[in-house]
Amino acid sequence: MSKVNSLAIITTQAPYSSASGKDALDMALIFGSYEQDIALFFIGDGVWQLIDKANGELLQVKDYLKTFSALPFYDVEDVFICEQSLKDRGIEGPLNIQSAQTLSKQTLIETLKQYKAVLRF
Amino acid sequence: MKAPIYSELFFCVKLEANLATFTLVVTTPPHQNRTATVVEIAHALLNKGHQINGIFFYQDGVLNASKTLVMPSDEYQSIKSLAALANSNKVPMHLCITAAEKRGLTDEDSQHNILNFFTISGLGEMVELNATSDRVIQL
Repeated sequence: MSKVNSLAIITTQAPYSSASGKDALDMALIFGSYEQDIALFFIGDGVWQLIDKANGELLQVKDYLKTFSALPFYDVEDVFICEQSLKDRGIEGPLNIQSAQTLSKQTLIETLKQYKAVLRF
Repeated sequence: MKAPIYSELFFCVKLEANLATFTLVVTTPPHQNRTATVVEIAHALLNKGHQINGIFFYQDGVLNASKTLVMPSDEYQSIKSLAALANSNKVPMHLCITAAEKRGLTDEDSQHNILNFFTISGLGEMVELNATSDRVIQL
């Protein structure tokens, strides 16, 4: 049974080449600030946004990845990462969101099912 | 007018019996086929007796609100279709103004270039739409 009025936002693209990741983050922050039941999922190429110490300023774009550290302040506490997506891309070591949970594919699917609505960016 | 092709494809028997309120989210620009799809889905929903509490335009979807949009006459006329949905079917069209301004749209008096059937909104409106609908469909 899905949770009433909940929303899962899935971010699936690498940072900087498109604004997709920032659009997803902006949406998550607004839902968080309105105290909605919100979760942010990093799946597929979306996990490239999680690499620690990436520096968008070198590319003259706004480094929105730094805003990830503000997620708890906006009450976005449910942040989930696809373990398989990290593995497929050889991403290891510290990630730039400390509070995120890495989930196996099966758990990820089950978690996603709990949300009433899904938006994918 | 041809019958909407999405009516049977999208909606299971359960939904036929239980009328629901839908929110549609458009993230694709007017020249992509998914804008035609959103209009078809909207009509299919309304024909089945469902409600649509609003269509939210975000990312490149905001380009659908441009007054200066000109599509070749033999291509899909997105403005006409969306206007009919807004005016005849009273479906609210919400434009994320932050996303719109990034793409050259403005509601400032001297340069106003947003179609009049769009409501100037923000992401807060998306929160409201999600909170008052049963289902959300993104295109």
